[in-house]
Amino acid sequence: MRTPRRAALARAATCSAGALVLLLSACTAGGGTTGAQDAPTADQKVSLTVYSAFADRELGILNKVLDGFHAAHPNITINSQGSQDDDKITQAIRGGNPPDVAISFSTDNIGQFCSSGAWQDLKPYIDRDKTDLSQIPKAVQDYTQFNGKRCAMPMLADVYGLYYNKDLFAAKGITAPPKTMSELLEDTKKLTEFNPDGSIKVAGFIPQFGFYANHPQIWAPQFGAKWLDGNGKSDLATDPAWTEMFNFQKQLVDFYGWEKLQKFTAGLGQEYSPDHAFNKGQVAIMFDGEYRTAFLKSDVPNLNYDTAPSPVADDKADTYGGGYTTGTIIGIPKGVKNAGAAWELIKYLSMDTNALVQLANGLGNVPSTKAALHSTDLKMPAQFNTFLKIFDNPNLANNPASPNGGAYLKTAEDLGSSWQSGQVKDLHAAFAQADKTIDDAKALGGN
Amino acid sequence: MATLTATAVATRPAPKPKKRHPRDILNWIAVHAVALALGVGFALPIVFVVLTAFMSDQQALTSDLWPRSWHPENFLTVFEKAPMLEYFGNSLLYSILATAGMLLSSIPAAYALARLRFRGSNLIFMLVIAAMMLPPQVVAVPIYSMWANLHLTGTLWPLVVPYFLGDAFSIFLLRQFFVTVPQDYFDAARMDGCNEFQMLYRVLVPMTKPGLAAAGLFTFLYTWNDYFGPLLYVGEKQDSWTLSVALASFRGMHQVQWNLTMAATVLVLVPVIVLFLFAQKSFVKGITFTGVKG
Amino acid sequence: MTATLLGSADAPAASVPSTGRARRRGRHRKWVLLFLAPWAAGMVLFFGYPLLATVYFSFTNYDGLNTADFVGLRNYVFMFTSDPLVKAAAYNTLWLVVVLTVGRLAFAMGVAQILTKVRNGSGFLRALCYLPSLAPPVAATLTFVFLFNPGTGPVNTILGWLGINGPLWFNDPNLSKPSLTLLTLWGSGELMIIILAAMLDVPGDLYEAADLDGAGPWMKFRKITLPSIAPVLLYGVVNSIIFALQYFTQAVVAGSVASGSADAVGNSKLIGYPDNSTLTFPVWMYNEGFRSYHMGYASAMAVLLFIVSFAFTAILIRQLRAGKAEAS
Repeated sequence: MRTPRRAALARAATCSAGALVLLLSACTAGGGTTGAQDAPTADQKVSLTVYSAFADRELGILNKVLDGFHAAHPNITINSQGSQDDDKITQAIRGGNPPDVAISFSTDNIGQFCSSGAWQDLKPYIDRDKTDLSQIPKAVQDYTQFNGKRCAMPMLADVYGLYYNKDLFAAKGITAPPKTMSELLEDTKKLTEFNPDGSIKVAGFIPQFGFYANHPQIWAPQFGAKWLDGNGKSDLATDPAWTEMFNFQKQLVDFYGWEKLQKFTAGLGQEYSPDHAFNKGQVAIMFDGEYRTAFLKSDVPNLNYDTAPSPVADDKADTYGGGYTTGTIIGIPKGVKNAGAAWELIKYLSMDTNALVQLANGLGNVPSTKAALHSTDLKMPAQFNTFLKIFDNPNLANNPASPNGGAYLKTAEDLGSSWQSGQVKDLHAAFAQADKTIDDAKALGGN
Repeated sequence: MATLTATAVATRPAPKPKKRHPRDILNWIAVHAVALALGVGFALPIVFVVLTAFMSDQQALTSDLWPRSWHPENFLTVFEKAPMLEYFGNSLLYSILATAGMLLSSIPAAYALARLRFRGSNLIFMLVIAAMMLPPQVVAVPIYSMWANLHLTGTLWPLVVPYFLGDAFSIFLLRQFFVTVPQDYFDAARMDGCNEFQMLYRVLVPMTKPGLAAAGLFTFLYTWNDYFGPLLYVGEKQDSWTLSVALASFRGMHQVQWNLTMAATVLVLVPVIVLFLFAQKSFVKGITFTGVKG
Repeated sequence: MTATLLGSADAPAASVPSTGRARRRGRHRKWVLLFLAPWAAGMVLFFGYPLLATVYFSFTNYDGLNTADFVGLRNYVFMFTSDPLVKAAAYNTLWLVVVLTVGRLAFAMGVAQILTKVRNGSGFLRALCYLPSLAPPVAATLTFVFLFNPGTGPVNTILGWLGINGPLWFNDPNLSKPSLTLLTLWGSGELMIIILAAMLDVPGDLYEAADLDGAGPWMKFRKITLPSIAPVLLYGVVNSIIFALQYFTQAVVAGSVASGSADAVGNSKLIGYPDNSTLTFPVWMYNEGFRSYHMGYASAMAVLLFIVSFAFTAILIRQLRAGKAEAS
């Protein structure tokens, strides 16, 4: 007597819950229009919201450039919100309140943005306005698209190279920066100083993965290491360059002793603070991006340093001059009402030479078009020219986009961490395991 | 049941005067030494936080313990760097609304469970316990989807509405309180012709004010300290941030400024300490009722 | 149960004896329904439906923006065979369950025992022990990460005065969870007060009798104190287990601040810093679901978390039922 009713009720509850689930999951975060939306006419008042991760001084620089856009398009007002990282942008898109223009510091998520449609396909706009993509270096084009779908434009790029302390070099009698990895090893040994108790006083070059700018993706171009093979599968085990890279890194770590190195780095200043180890002369050589020149200029203007392209593996000496690149990307989120106006702003921020030069000068990044790169209005410290040259070099490389973002970078870095602390006995097996993890994780989100 | 400030050793009879054994004296010293160490251990973190909050930018990055120069303006700088008052307001709104909603929805439910006998009351109580113990992350994805489709993320609605529909822990706590009210009061009221609803607000509520205060206090505190909820639902809209999310993000663009971060931490701790000082008895009453009866 | 509540309005009165009591129970029902209505709605919306939906999503590939595609067991296969981080996350959470539970109870009991013996200033001391448990978790975590900063924190500075080379605490993969445990112990004041109250409720004569029998302090504790405060201990155990299963805030804030990252939850490449040691199960779930667009996979993880927490819930409910049976 009680049972049938209870069963019926339970069935009803499950059915309605199930219907509710299907109903709610079917709702998407606002529709998107296919095809290019028209730009607003001069008498149409439009307001655009721009989300970026910039803050404080850097946000001010962006806002000045945005003012320039507003001056050219008085009918478009811009509301610029800083401190919006990728998480917040993603949340805003999911919640149905996307900004009209999103600026991201990380190219990691381009695969997710493009494949999920979180950022709109820009092809209709590019085709309609005949935007000249050849202005943008190939490596930079690569990190703004995924699987042939372009859902972002680059807005300034980061280029990585070698920084070295000329005073420390002179003291040890080294006249030129290292061009090959064996030279780097030699120089490191010469430049390193130890305290009487055996701890590190000055490190020639810190090889610790995960510390400052030492990440596998930044080292990869120097060894010619490829992330993916011809079939799009992870290549860590089969590409010998990775083994070479990890073995070389271990050589450097073993020179210091892992425990000592770890203790040393734990006590160094934060990556973006004035206490940075390079600023204080605690490290003589390091890999870092071009933005470091702006920090050095403002924190330690009297530091005698110079820059050069990063050294390459001994057997890849002819690739010297290139480096790793990544950058800021800019796109139109899904569900934006004024996509046409948003595109006008994106075009301005990514292709307009004046805007790019202004941004580059203010933020200390590399402008992302060839025209801006060769502009005579660029006001950079002398050491910055290295990065402009690297950017122009055909050996410039980036890491491939992936549908699950930077997960594979984390897998590689986790492996690097285990490796450098001596927990990995069989490197090849570990690479193979990492490959499997990366491929499986990628397949998780695919269809 | 113990209160914190009253030396509640009433339940243990005073020790008969014994011969002072040297071992007893050592014992006394040992116990009190440990107690002192404990007190210091518990208080020291806050002391260091406060001291660092007064340091200059550079000194905060060193290992110095005592400020060389005092910078009370750090507290003002915190307000300049981030709209802390706005976040404070958001936290306050969230906590007050949640507490109000909790009281409205949980008192009747707890009353029903505690004093009204009906079939299935045990089962419902078990369900309440089950809901109490559910990690919020288990149901985060569908609930977030639901609110996203209603376009209410970025507001305090997703955080507050659930409290208007009953809060498991509060129902549990209130039920434990309500069970202890003697039946005679209700019988007397029923004799006067009260219906259940009148009994609720004429008899139960006045009699259990301390318990209600305790439950309200717990809800207030829990929502004030909530991080996961606000991170998920208001993370995207900085204007709607609560203090917990704001504090976790309180960082310079490029580095942690310890003096300012500690100043912000102090600002977040102060309301809680003030609340505690005013409402000590309620707190203690509340927590003993959750545990002692099991 | 729902049948009795909702269906009773028009249930045939055949089984109910027609006495005054039945009439009262009939009126009763109306009030019961009314009083429980908000709670029932809440249960459906925020407990029942989401649980079912989570199970449903766990069999799909759902990125939060487009419709969910059914993919069968793919998420579960990945979780159990390929994802190294889910193993680390599960290990970390289980570590916390065991260590936090044992640690909190042992510490709270120890402190409570001391507090029972202190007469002067005991109120002040108790307040001091309880206050940190009220601190917002974010503030408390920041406090501890600051205190235990390997280079400049007060703890290593003081250890340095004593000639001890302080370890790396939150920056050392082997010490990050123990450091979080210290943080939890600092905040276990609530449990202490409950245990203290229970200890004070134990009749003094029992101890006097034991003294006469010549029992030592440990004997007294084992044979008298422990059994008497058993219900409170059970509560403490359950509370700690649930707390550890949901452990999110402190892990995330500690990892992100210790790594020096500028984001609130930390850079997704640095999550679980250092070396995935602070990557708890809920943290990894949040990362996969809300940052990596793998809401389906996160739902599969949620199902696993639910099964584990439900197992503990079932044990507790059985204990409570047994307790009730004994009492009645």
